[in-house]
Amino acid sequence: MTPHTAHLHEHADGVVLVTGATGLLGSLVVRRWATGRHAPRIAVLVRDVARWTATASRLGIGSAAVMPLEGDLMVAGLGLSAATRWWLAHHATAVVHLAADTTFSRPLDEARAVNVDGTQRLLDVVGDCPRVSRVALVSTAFVAGRRTGRIGASPVTAADAVAGWVNAYEQSKTEAEWLVRTRHPGAVVLRSSTVACDDLTGVVTQRNAVHRALRLLHDGLAPMIPGVASTAIDLVPADYVADAIARLALRGGIDGETLHLCAGDGAMPLDEMLEASHACWIRDTAWRRRGVIMPTLGDLETWHLFARSVEETGHARLRSVTRALAHFLPQLALPKQFDTTRTEALLGERAPVVRDYWTHMVEHLRATEWRGVAGLAELAA
Amino acid sequence: MTTPGIRGIAYALPAVSRSVRELALAGALESDAELLEGFGFARVHVACAETPYQLAQASASQLLTEQGVDPASIGLLVYGGTPSAMAFSPAHDAEAGARSLCTADRFRYPATRLQYELGLEGASVLALDQLACTTLFGAVRVARALMASERIDRALCVASEFYPLNAGREAIYNCTSDAACALLLEARGTRNRIAGAATITKGYYWDAAAMREEVVASYFPTAVHAIRRTLASAGWSADDVTWVIPHNVSTRSWEILLRLACLPNARLWTRNVAEHGHTLAGDNFINLRDAIAEGAVREGDRALLFSYGYGAHWTGLALEI
Repeated sequence: MTPHTAHLHEHADGVVLVTGATGLLGSLVVRRWATGRHAPRIAVLVRDVARWTATASRLGIGSAAVMPLEGDLMVAGLGLSAATRWWLAHHATAVVHLAADTTFSRPLDEARAVNVDGTQRLLDVVGDCPRVSRVALVSTAFVAGRRTGRIGASPVTAADAVAGWVNAYEQSKTEAEWLVRTRHPGAVVLRSSTVACDDLTGVVTQRNAVHRALRLLHDGLAPMIPGVASTAIDLVPADYVADAIARLALRGGIDGETLHLCAGDGAMPLDEMLEASHACWIRDTAWRRRGVIMPTLGDLETWHLFARSVEETGHARLRSVTRALAHFLPQLALPKQFDTTRTEALLGERAPVVRDYWTHMVEHLRATEWRGVAGLAELAA
Repeated sequence: MTTPGIRGIAYALPAVSRSVRELALAGALESDAELLEGFGFARVHVACAETPYQLAQASASQLLTEQGVDPASIGLLVYGGTPSAMAFSPAHDAEAGARSLCTADRFRYPATRLQYELGLEGASVLALDQLACTTLFGAVRVARALMASERIDRALCVASEFYPLNAGREAIYNCTSDAACALLLEARGTRNRIAGAATITKGYYWDAAAMREEVVASYFPTAVHAIRRTLASAGWSADDVTWVIPHNVSTRSWEILLRLACLPNARLWTRNVAEHGHTLAGDNFINLRDAIAEGAVREGDRALLFSYGYGAHWTGLALEI
């Protein structure tokens, strides 16, 4: 038995209910458990069983290893039949909640609908499952919102709301943490940093705001970035996060803990990140001839002034660009370093250092011609 | 290399001016008048009867008179702005001027005519084109180099530009004016000594209308880059700049640019933005003359002039007043 799988025995006679299993992280976590030597019984809550079947097939997860339960976080009772809920009530021993709407640009009510109300509905069902001894919520390190400095891995408090958040995603995940902590004080909260790529090779399966911002920089459409050169940009590869979740979500002895799954000291300074990206792009003759230079770094006030000016001019295409950046870039002007001490002690290892894979990721995006990453035309459409 | 100074500046504006609201009513603006007023614009000068050449001649004549300089002592004339025979057509008949470019009239040049009519007997003549709002900076650049290489003591730089009647009066959220501006450079001048200069050209953005978003996005980082290169060329630090003499684009864009450029001791001289708008021929130099005249900019000040022109060109000039 390895340290990776020892904790799985605690749920050997039960069922681990997983949400978000068709997502990038969820599918990787389930694969780790389902294909391990001490696989727990896993049930996944999915809206579309066919999609899950395809995901499982792609990841090499045998059909017998995981039971798909067709349901929906957006529906009361998760849309589960009475029989399914009875079955869960008798067998579920753990719930690992990964499902979330991670789109930064969602309005708050829409973000809450999934991330808060959906969590509430899940907890309502869990409330009818007396054997559940572990609730694990996968959250985001950016519940820290507008706070700066060293961010401890501690539960959110009302004081966190004072600083505020950059986008509705951050706020809704904070509220989800509050909700889970209130209903299940012993829950484990695993806060992931922003996922940059799949692994150290830099391959990107799932595009997000980081990649969109990077493309706009590449295309010379971002005039400035709020931030200072030394701001550490915290990113993680998906395989690290998935591995950490798989090893920590069901682990005993950490009830009530909040853990950062972040690069921590391995975060990459903003200026180094921009220089590395520029050094990669400039090898492309066509790009070099355009004379695109990296955006100027400015303070948050200047960014807001620029964004307001674009809004006032009513220029639709430029406004699309600025709005796309506005949900993400302001974090760069709010330097923070996530405390990963406890996570490293539990895992016995650190998250990969960002500079070890950043250039690979930038090169991958360029080599795949930014496939799946919205540029000006897509944003303006 | 000698570092010439700008001994004198003169400018000529058309007789007619229009308010931003009048321009909006006439359909000459793309944006709302309120927006452009919010960006600092109130009135612009509109050449109706005057030709670009007449404005050029008026500014150059005034300059020579004010400075009491013998025209024959001018060794170089660098002329920029409205090209060829178009410079002889008033705005209301700009299409006739444009047609002249398709005939032998295209060889009727305002630069040589100016040399003759001003009595610049000793001046060789060059003309510049396609530098848009950075034309006068380009003229200074050429003059500075030729004064050094050909030992020319005095050079006259003149730019005259207008917007044809059907071209509208807005260029990317800026209201444009017609004007001419003339500079007298002296190789051993002590006033407005040219301490440094820098120009960045990015041909990728040659089609400004088609690349509006890219032009706007590239404007700020490249401007900051050009400003830093200008300061480096002068051997100045960011702290050294006491005045920024702008091209009269929106005050909002200047507010953003100055925040990004980080010039802690610099003040921005904006008085002319409202009343003159963006005079394509030489905002910065018109502003410099007025700023000195009102006593804002004084001897010993270090002034940074920066401009952007379609094409695309970013250019800066560091002057020791």
